[in-house]
This record gives sequence, C-alpha cells and structure tokens, in this order.
Amino acid sequence: MRHTRDVHTLAGPYAMDAISPPDRARFDRHLAWCEDCAREIAGLREATARLAAAAAVSPPPALKARVMAAAAATRQRPPGPEPEPALRTWPLRTWPLRTRPLRTRQGRPTPSRRLVMAAGAVAAAAAVAAAVVFGVSSGGMRDQLSQAQASSQQVAAVLTARDATMMTGAVRGGGTVTIVMSHSMRELVFTAAALHALPASRGYELWLIGPAGDRAVIMLPPARHGMTGPVVASGLRPGDHLALTAEPAAGAAHPAGRPTTPMMLDVVL
Amino acid sequence: MTAIDRSDPDRARPSAAEPGAAADLTTYLRLVARGDADAFDTVYDQVAATVFGIVRRVVRDPAQSEEVTQDVLLEVWRNAAKFDPGRGSATAWVMTLAHRRAVDRVRSVQKESERERRTAVADVPFDEVAEAVESSLERERVRRCLGSLTELQRESVTLAYYGGYTYSQVASLLGVPGGTIKTRMRDALIRLRDCLGVAS
Repeated sequence: MRHTRDVHTLAGPYAMDAISPPDRARFDRHLAWCEDCAREIAGLREATARLAAAAAVSPPPALKARVMAAAAATRQRPPGPEPEPALRTWPLRTWPLRTRPLRTRQGRPTPSRRLVMAAGAVAAAAAVAAAVVFGVSSGGMRDQLSQAQASSQQVAAVLTARDATMMTGAVRGGGTVTIVMSHSMRELVFTAAALHALPASRGYELWLIGPAGDRAVIMLPPARHGMTGPVVASGLRPGDHLALTAEPAAGAAHPAGRPTTPMMLDVVL
Repeated sequence: MTAIDRSDPDRARPSAAEPGAAADLTTYLRLVARGDADAFDTVYDQVAATVFGIVRRVVRDPAQSEEVTQDVLLEVWRNAAKFDPGRGSATAWVMTLAHRRAVDRVRSVQKESERERRTAVADVPFDEVAEAVESSLERERVRRCLGSLTELQRESVTLAYYGGYTYSQVASLLGVPGGTIKTRMRDALIRLRDCLGVAS
C-alpha cells in the first residue's frame, strides 16, 4: 500500500516529464496495471497541453518546407506495438553486482538503464551462485580504462558504445577485474589490477564458456604497474560466462575444452 | 478517399483554441496515418506553433528549437498510426511528444556550466511570449488559472514544465523537500485541469 502511494505521488512530475529515467520506468510499470492512474495522467496531460498552447510561437516559415520534405522521405510506422529490436532482446545477463552504466556521471540519459535494472532483479539469486566475491570499483581502475580508451580504437569503441555497462569484481586469489560490456557490439573490454603474481612459466588465460562451446579468448599479457590489459573479447553469445584461469605460459592445451585448472573468476554475462 | 477538400469552410484550419480543433486534429491524424500528405500539411498548420512554442520555451536556443520541432513533427508523421484516441486527445498526444523531446534535448546537453539558465527561467514572466497570435485567448485563460495556484504550486509547474527541470531539481532550486514538490506538482495540475475545464 505504502509503496503504491509513494509511486502515485509521481503522477504530477510524470505528466510534466519532470522525472528521472528510473522513476519514469517505475511509474510506467505502475500505470500498466492502474487504470485510474492512467486516466489521471491522461487528464493531467490535457492540462499540460494547455500550458504548451499558451506558449505558442509561430516557427520560421522555412521550417514547414523542411518538415514536409523530410516527411516525404520518411517511412511511416504501422499500427500496433513495435517489435523489439533484435539486439535489445539478446538474452545475455550481466554480472549481478556493482553494475555501473558509463554515462551517468553527469546525469545523462542512460540507454543501458534497463539492462542495469534487469541485472538488479536477478542480483539476489545470482549473488548466491556467483563464484567470486565482488568488491567495490576503484577510481584507479576507471582511470586505467580512460587511458586504455586512447590507446586502442577497438577498446574505445566498446567503452563509448551507447549500451556500455561497467562491472567490477574481485578475483579469487587476489586482484580486481573491471569489465565494460556492450551487448549490441557483443564485445567486452577486460582489465585487471593487482592479480596475484604468477611464476614466469605461467600466465592468466581468459575464456568464454557457454552453450556455443568454450573458447580461449587470449593469454593475458604480463601485468605492468599492477595493471593487466585491456584486452577485448569479441563474439559474445547468449549464455556465455567469462572465466579466468592460470595456465602454462604457452597457453592451455585444450582450446576446445573446458579449462581443467581452477577458475579464478566466473562471470555470468 | 484520402483527399481533403480544403475549400470546405468547415475544414478550414481551426485554431488550437477553438473547441472543434481537437476533433479535427484526430480526424487529420487518422488520414496522416494512411500517408496522406495533405492531411499532414493541415496537421502542421494546426500544431506547429504550439510545438515550436513549448520546445523553444524549454530549449531556448532558436536553432536547436527548430531541430527539435522538426523531429517532433516527423515523429507525428511516422507514428500517427500509434495515436490512440481512447487514451487522450490528439493535442495532448502531440504536446506530450513535443515536451518530452524538448526535455530530452536539454538533459542530454545539460552541463553544470549551463545551469545559469536557471535564474533566467525563474525570472521569465509568464507573458514573455508575445508573438503568438492565435492563442492569445488561451494564454489569458492559462495565465488566469496559473494565478489561482499557490505560489509554490505555480513555481513548481513553471520550472518543471517551461523550464524542463526534474522535480528534484525544482526542489533544490526552491529549497523545498522533494516529496513536497511532487505532491504540489500533482495538486497544481489537478487544479489547472479543473480550472481550464479539461475534459478527461
């Protein structure tokens, strides 16, 4: 009850678009089953439309020709609900904790908001299953990612993707990883900090493990100043996990098989 | 079938303030949904000033306001088939679209350095816009109804709707708790709705 009433106080801000994206999404869900609320919003919007009418100003005459020309070159949408764009429904799940959309720092709109919220919804269940303990994202990691952006176009493309989502977590055995993933590009950028040092004969290997088969992504280059990567993993598929193992430096001898060595990290993408 | 006889005096471009306007806009939108360019021409004439007016009020920059207005009108063209008269008037549909686009535009370019806009907005007298001809009656009516609100209600609505601020931004501008602003906004719109005699 209390929750409903709380949501309902958003009716005024909602009708005037004076609302943040998460609040708007909350209220949209509320509207989906609350017919009275939908009616109320419709009434309030008639009022706001009058506020708009009171501000009417004739646009420059040239605008009309531009609009008419643009309309003539624009295909119209059919009636009925729009099918979801295929990439949006790609059933990857994000790492459940500490997800952080890249573009929110200045209060910008967040295209990945839905993704983040979906991740939040599965957090309770997934946190139990997660094979790692997650830590708090560090500013240093983000700085490293910023540097990486300048150094590689491929990395930059993922980091600047509209749906880029940042995730951080702790590696079993020591260290922190940061992943920035773009569902639409089906790519992620992986960096790690302060991984446990391995003898020269061994190295860390990154894997994608999933129903589509297990793929070795790359042997991670040796750490520099405690930082490993960034490296890019491409061709993510639904159901993939991202795993990290310690292997002989030459790479594992079982590229087509599941890693036999213990996983240091297992991320449900 | 889709041609509109524009010599018909009953069809002659009613202004937004006239009672018949909404019904006509609905009719024209149906035709637009079928790709009728003449009907779209009429829709443009009916809504362009209102769309441009509210967009300019929120966005401020004239060039950007034109861009957003063009986007909004194109969206009307593209999505005319999605308009559902059962869920509100055609005018409200178009204005909701316009206001949301305007707000999206300012929030996507919003930076701290632009916040000086806020004093400008707060100081804008309600009758600042003098160019509109058709809607002077409507403007008078709205001004009167805004005048019937409490000061806090009026400021909340003005900052949110004309200024494009979120309720939490309005709350901090006015130094009032967010929860208070939320309820004032709703109360204010309900009073405006009743004062303006909006059929809901």
